[in-house]
Amino acid sequence: MTTQALLQVLASGLLMGLIYALIAVGLSLIFGLMDVVNFAHGEFLMTAMYVVFGMFLFTAIDPVLLVPVAAAALFVVGAAAYLGVVRFAMRAKANQGMVQIFATFGLATLMQGAAQYFLTPDYRSIGNSWLGGKTLNLAGVFLPWPQIFGGLVSIAAFGGLYLLMSRTDFGKALEATREDQGAVALVGIDRNRVFALGWGLGAALVGLAGAVLAIFYYIHPQVGATFGLIAYVTVALGGFGSVFGALAAGVIVGLVEALTAALLPPAMKSIGIYTLYLGIVFIRPSGLFGKL
Amino acid sequence: MLLEVASLTTAYDGLIAISDISVSVAEGEIVVVAGANGAGKSTLLKTISGMERARSGEVRFDGERISGLPGHEITRRGVAYVPENRRLFPRLSVADNLKLGSYLHRAKADREQPLEQVFTLFPRLKERLPQRAATLSGGEQQMLAIGRALMTRPRILMLDEPSQGIMPKLVDEIFEAVLTIRKVGVTVLLVEQRLAESLEIADRAYVLQTGRVILSGTAAEVRDNPDIRQAYLGI
Repeated sequence: MTTQALLQVLASGLLMGLIYALIAVGLSLIFGLMDVVNFAHGEFLMTAMYVVFGMFLFTAIDPVLLVPVAAAALFVVGAAAYLGVVRFAMRAKANQGMVQIFATFGLATLMQGAAQYFLTPDYRSIGNSWLGGKTLNLAGVFLPWPQIFGGLVSIAAFGGLYLLMSRTDFGKALEATREDQGAVALVGIDRNRVFALGWGLGAALVGLAGAVLAIFYYIHPQVGATFGLIAYVTVALGGFGSVFGALAAGVIVGLVEALTAALLPPAMKSIGIYTLYLGIVFIRPSGLFGKL
Repeated sequence: MLLEVASLTTAYDGLIAISDISVSVAEGEIVVVAGANGAGKSTLLKTISGMERARSGEVRFDGERISGLPGHEITRRGVAYVPENRRLFPRLSVADNLKLGSYLHRAKADREQPLEQVFTLFPRLKERLPQRAATLSGGEQQMLAIGRALMTRPRILMLDEPSQGIMPKLVDEIFEAVLTIRKVGVTVLLVEQRLAESLEIADRAYVLQTGRVILSGTAAEVRDNPDIRQAYLGI
């Protein structure tokens, strides 16, 4: 491989990795907050993509401008998923972990089914957007603008998340709830409110990623499965519950995927990621930054 | 009465922990609830603070019914509770633990107002501000838990065995602090196994045995009761 080609692989992998990190971070955040794995995370992503697709179709506003709209819409979806489903699953008297898994898995199936029924299983894509199909030529390394935009959104989101967690009272309330959800009432914090906002925040983050993906990826009811699976690998690698572990892990997953794609036939491009996943499970099940 | 507990019964999985307990605390008092292990002292405080649900009976605070309210709402009304195991946020710093104590007052300009009082009570907390709560000694953790509770600006402070598992010198310090806390206008409901020491600072006392109140009265009355002298004070 020439240096040029290697740089190309690294740059593409890095950008895709930042997007993977943005997809995964909400999943990790919610897990860290309340030990619930959201199996509908990929469907949250799918919803965000359809939100952007629909808005673009009806208003012709460019997807770049729709990113905050998708985040806001997904915030509502996430909070509603907690208040309408997960909150009740957590009240299970026995086998709570299983009940939570089935509840969020059921939610995923419902969302996929609803998308198939109401939006049809057709593959859709957004044509004629500001960034779609355009590339930046950086001294012979070609970078697609949608991915560059995605990388920037991801970096901005992680920066914002860092400030939120470290500087605000809500961030402290989140951390305190992660530490001991039974004790926050002692300082007057309503943990149900923190959980609902935490789900909203986690979903809003995947909403950002969905808006970015909608620019350059096919939109269909099963799209969540592909990216959802990568998100679980990312979270496992970064460490369940670790927000910034998700960032590092997302980038690693992106790079591994790009390298595999460059070295192996295209049909085998996912092998690298899942080999990496198996490796983590065997060698370091707590992930890079995990607290398990 | 500031706090009135009327015929409170609480059970865990059908097992009665406290039965038909009535306790009252007037504004400005220090009241101690004493009794052996398993007498139901902790359950009483857990039920008042909303961590456990009562099977029957009610709790009134400042004339309003608080039993049945969620725990955070009870804290908001001015009832602070320091549980037996303290329930600090172990991986957060001492400073963050205290800051979370003032969460309810986060919109106020004088949010940190009780902090000075907390540092006067427990100067060593000031030296430990950047440390994680988990790295503190048992006594310091107790101080932090009381400090965090004071940051909520309570009208009543409920302490569950603050002397447990800490070195004797610090026990005195904490009992001293309880007296000072009362002086600044916070009512105190103290649960203790160390009856002799707590009677020294208390105005009134209740003695619990297997979930029921077997004796109550002024601190002097309880101290002079022959059964108590024999059973608890070893005289």
